[in-house]
Order: sequence, then C-alpha cells, then structure tokens
Amino acid sequence: MDLFISLILLNKIIYIMEKINVKKHEHQFSYKEHFGTWIGLVLLTVMTVSFSSLWTILGELAIVTALFIATSKALVVLEYFMHLKFDPKLYRVMITVVLGLFAFFMIMLTIDYLTR
Amino acid sequence: MQWMLNNKFKMKNHFSLPNSGHNFDAKGSKLGMWLFLFTELLLFGGLFLTYLVYRNLYHEAFLQSSFHLNKWAGFTNTIVLLTSSMTVAMSIVALKKGAKNKAIWLLALTIIAAGIFMVIKYFEWSVKFEHGLFPGMDHYMSMEPGEKIYFFLYFFMTGLHGLHVIIGAVFIAVVIKKIANSKVNKDRVSLHENAGLYWHLVDLVWIYLFPLFYLIR
Repeated sequence: MDLFISLILLNKIIYIMEKINVKKHEHQFSYKEHFGTWIGLVLLTVMTVSFSSLWTILGELAIVTALFIATSKALVVLEYFMHLKFDPKLYRVMITVVLGLFAFFMIMLTIDYLTR
Repeated sequence: MQWMLNNKFKMKNHFSLPNSGHNFDAKGSKLGMWLFLFTELLLFGGLFLTYLVYRNLYHEAFLQSSFHLNKWAGFTNTIVLLTSSMTVAMSIVALKKGAKNKAIWLLALTIIAAGIFMVIKYFEWSVKFEHGLFPGMDHYMSMEPGEKIYFFLYFFMTGLHGLHVIIGAVFIAVVIKKIANSKVNKDRVSLHENAGLYWHLVDLVWIYLFPLFYLIR
C-alpha cells in the first residue's frame, strides 16, 4: 500500500517539477546569437593554428595551449550550440559529473606516465 | 499489494505521467540522447587515452609523422564543421519560430557541409595511400614503431569520426523528411534537437582531433 502511495506522490512531485522547469527555461535563441558563437569559435581556431607555428619557442607548452584552446572551444559548443546554458539544470549536473570523472582519469593517467 | 499493481497495469498498459494525456516527453527524450552521447565519449575517450600513452612513449616519432599531414586541410575542415554546427543550431531556432522551409534549407546546408568535409578527407586520405602510409602497405611496414602507431591511430580515429559524419548526415536527412511531412514540428522538436546534439558531438570530437594530429609541431 505505501509503495502505491509513494508512487502517486513521486508522480505528483515530477509533475510539479516539470511545471517549474517549463516556466523557467523559456529562453529563445536567435540567429544572431549563433552567428556570434560561430565567430568566436573561428577566432579560437585561428588562434590555435597560429600558436602551433610557435612550437620551437613554446616547446612542451605548445600541447598545453592547444588543449586549453580546444577545451574552451568545446565548452562554447556545449553551452551555446548544445543549449546547455538555458536548458534545465539536470543536464548540466549530469554532464559535469561525467566529464569531471573522465577528466579525472585522463589527468591521473597523464601524471602516471609523466612520472615514470 | 501485488494485485493492486497488476490491476493498475491492466488498466493502462503503458506508462504515462499523470495529466499529460500522451506519451510525449521532450525532457526524457533529450536525457536519453545525452546518455547515448556519454557512451560516445567513452568510445572516443578510450582512443584519446591510447593516443596520450603512445605520444608519451614515442614523442619524437609523433612529431615527425605529423609533418605528413596538411595543416590547412585540417583547418578548412574545422571551419566547415563549425559552420555546419551553426546551421544546425539555426535550423532549430527557425523551426521553433515556425519557419519550416527555412529550417529545412538550413539542415540541407548542413548535409552539404558534411559532404564538403568528406571530400576534403577523401583527398587527404588518397595522398596518404599514394605514399603507402595506410597500415599494411609496404612503406608502412618499413617504418619505425612510433610512426606506425601514429598512422594507425590517425586512420582509425579520423575514420571513426568520418563514419560519425556520415551517420549524422543520414540522421539529419531523416529529420528533414519528417519536418517536410510535419511529423517534426514547432511543438515536437525533440528529434530535430537530438539530431543537432549528435551533430555537435561530431564537431566536438573534431575540435580535439585537429590539434592532436595536425598541430603537434
């Protein structure tokens, strides 16, 4: 019996949460916004290509800058093209956890290989 | 207890939220797409880890091999993919505003961009085939281990990415068809948005592939 009641309660809670969410995330993207994002991404690409010709000076830093710029580009794509910025918070939490975990393993492995 | 649940399912033989009146759930559909994208992250992530390990082991060989790649072809392809990402995002805006034809045209532009990407890729690959750099060819077999691994990873990762470009283009073509016969419309954009998410993932993977293979120098 209490399982039944809790099921109904859960449904009710989900319904209320949906209602709140619908009210909150009504941001409409515009063409202009997406075009601005595109310009930003192209500028970052030009930056990463021009930095790469400095590899003799930068040395090991070259890969770090390249990855830093790539990650900024990825974040811009996630936030604006993939609408993460104005979508319900749920997606952001999920993606942060997954990407955080993934980055953690990448970093641990790098440290492991660099200190051998 | 058990009979109560059984009764409930007999009356309604499918799940639906109370007061929704139908089975359409935009939020859940997007959630499912994200879960799928996470598995894609693992697929490419494993390959990036492999790259990382061998790059540490064969630092000099990776640097030397990267000179075989044409930086400007990679740059052009990056711009093409970024542009196609923009047109997908814009087509979602268009459909939400109710401009059906505009949405279809923007999606068609995306497929054209996918085509341009694949043509550039084709020319890049054929140059490498001529030089015998594909795994198994004579020149490849005579190279040192680090260079072998670099070209193996290059062909595998850009190949897998190219496969994703093709799948994404097919996905978008399906969406175009569904927009044309109004199955996907202003109030039900989920499939369109999910195709967009998939296309952006293709873009994201390329954002990392480009500096890691073309811009080592």
